[in-house]
Amino acid sequence: MSIANANQAYHNNMVGPVMRAGDLAQAVIEAARLDNPGKEVFVDDKRAYIRIHTEQEMILRQETIEEQLGRPFKMNDLEVDLSSFAGQIESQDKAVRFYFTKKL
Amino acid sequence: MAVLNRMDWYDLARSTNWTPSYVSEDELFPPKLSGDFGLPQNAWEKYDEPYKQTYPEYVKVQREKDAGAYSVKAALERSRIFENADPGWKSVMKAHYGAIARGEYAAASAEARMMRFSKAPGMRNMSTLGCLDEIRHGQMQLYFPHEHVAKDRQMDWAFKAYDTNEWAMIAARHFFDDIMMTRDAISVSIMLTFSFETGFTNMQFLGLAADAAEAGDHTFANLISSIQTDESRHAQIGGPALKVLIENGHKAEAQKRVDIAVWGAWKLFSVLTGPIMDYYTPLAHRKQSFKEFMEEWIVAQFERALTDMGLDLPWYWDIFLNDLSQTHHGMHLGAYYWRPTLWWNPAAGITPDERAWLEQKYPGWNDTWGQCWDVFIDNVVDGNMEKAYPETLPAVCNMCQLPILGTPGKGWNVKDYPLEYNGRLYHFGSEVDRWVFQQEPERYAGHLSIVDRFLAGMIQPMDLNGALHYMNLAPGEIGDDAHNYAWAEVYRAMRAAKKAS
Repeated sequence: MSIANANQAYHNNMVGPVMRAGDLAQAVIEAARLDNPGKEVFVDDKRAYIRIHTEQEMILRQETIEEQLGRPFKMNDLEVDLSSFAGQIESQDKAVRFYFTKKL
Repeated sequence: MAVLNRMDWYDLARSTNWTPSYVSEDELFPPKLSGDFGLPQNAWEKYDEPYKQTYPEYVKVQREKDAGAYSVKAALERSRIFENADPGWKSVMKAHYGAIARGEYAAASAEARMMRFSKAPGMRNMSTLGCLDEIRHGQMQLYFPHEHVAKDRQMDWAFKAYDTNEWAMIAARHFFDDIMMTRDAISVSIMLTFSFETGFTNMQFLGLAADAAEAGDHTFANLISSIQTDESRHAQIGGPALKVLIENGHKAEAQKRVDIAVWGAWKLFSVLTGPIMDYYTPLAHRKQSFKEFMEEWIVAQFERALTDMGLDLPWYWDIFLNDLSQTHHGMHLGAYYWRPTLWWNPAAGITPDERAWLEQKYPGWNDTWGQCWDVFIDNVVDGNMEKAYPETLPAVCNMCQLPILGTPGKGWNVKDYPLEYNGRLYHFGSEVDRWVFQQEPERYAGHLSIVDRFLAGMIQPMDLNGALHYMNLAPGEIGDDAHNYAWAEVYRAMRAAKKAS
């Protein structure tokens, strides 16, 4: 039972932020949909934290989050509620990218 | 005035290496402290931190985080959450603060080592911020429990625990000293930030936050998830160091450090986080089982990321996956049985409803761990309390410093993994613990486990009272059942009903 499940858990290509619940998390969920067209966005709400994931790569743009929040937002403000993330991260001036280099 | 985008000046601003002319490079960066793996400065200048942050940004963001955490605390201060909390939940907080708070200052010191001695300028920059993070974590996790010290002596262990010889603290210190206090800058980045913080801190600071939110303890949920936003940044210090090592032919050394740190973290979490999640947290508030949290954070997220960086799964992967369903049940049974030696009151967590939950999450629980609890429950229900307390010591592993255990029942598989080194016989709880020791025996050989100390006559008198004195457990601090055995009433009633029928 356990080994099969745990092995399945390892075989995934999910990347993206794990946000503390709040308005920023909601804006990020919307931004994940808008900035990653054609990709399904998986949202797992654990109350204290929310997993927001897509397959293999996710881009979040400052402009999109700002629009969704309806207030000024700098890309590095994401950190206020970015508790964790799946995949590797790349910081850019006006965007952040989560990705895996390998596909399982 | 036009302001440059961060990425237009970031690389230049943190290019702070220079060629020393008054001293040699080895004097500026002593290899023992810098851990350069024989690579010169320019190899380390290729280190590129993926999660970038500048000091002005840091101050702004941290101010906002603190404003959030402290205002939630202030707002909820009069809601008497602590007074009204289930005793099991109070034990969660006590165990957490004692095991973690002062360790944050040790982590600040480890970050400071990377800040000064790493040859990678990017690492020095990020660990400057990481050091400030860890000071924040130490301060908050001492300040938040402090309001409860007057109500409950055990809360004082938030500060006191690290200065004691309490057995779980010996285990915690042994592990943290190994991965962060006694390693060079690069090894710290791999073992502390990459292995421990990218992986395991998520269990304690986010998994537990999910339980805390369910339990209505929003002050605690908010505090620890806020802390984890710092971790998620500075945990990225190790990744680029791994890439530099792999590119320069040092993959095996990097892999070994990861494997050692992950195993030690796993053992520590099996005694700390496992019982908290599967036994102390009131049943109605358990978001997931410990194993499910481990699968989510460690297997699906951390190990997957590890292989993406170019490393392999640890050689003991299958052992680890199997132990996910086992080890922490034994740790709970042991910690509970030796409960006078804890600074919190463990919840037994074995009412019929709780057992049904355990059986569902861990099929076979009743036929294994449940059998031991059956005996214990009978003793309590029969009033044989002298049999419900320990008289002897467990066998303790010379690596993880935790009891050597196996799964009871038909598959009883407890086994000692011995090793003779320099004329002394060491005992280990698993093949992996012994392997860790063998990688650098001289590093660990001089350490005495709590049982070694007992046998050496360092604990006097040689009984429970002597042990409690040695562990600095004062009256009012000594652990006992969280619910004062109220759960036994359910079993008494079941027995009475059976007799009547």
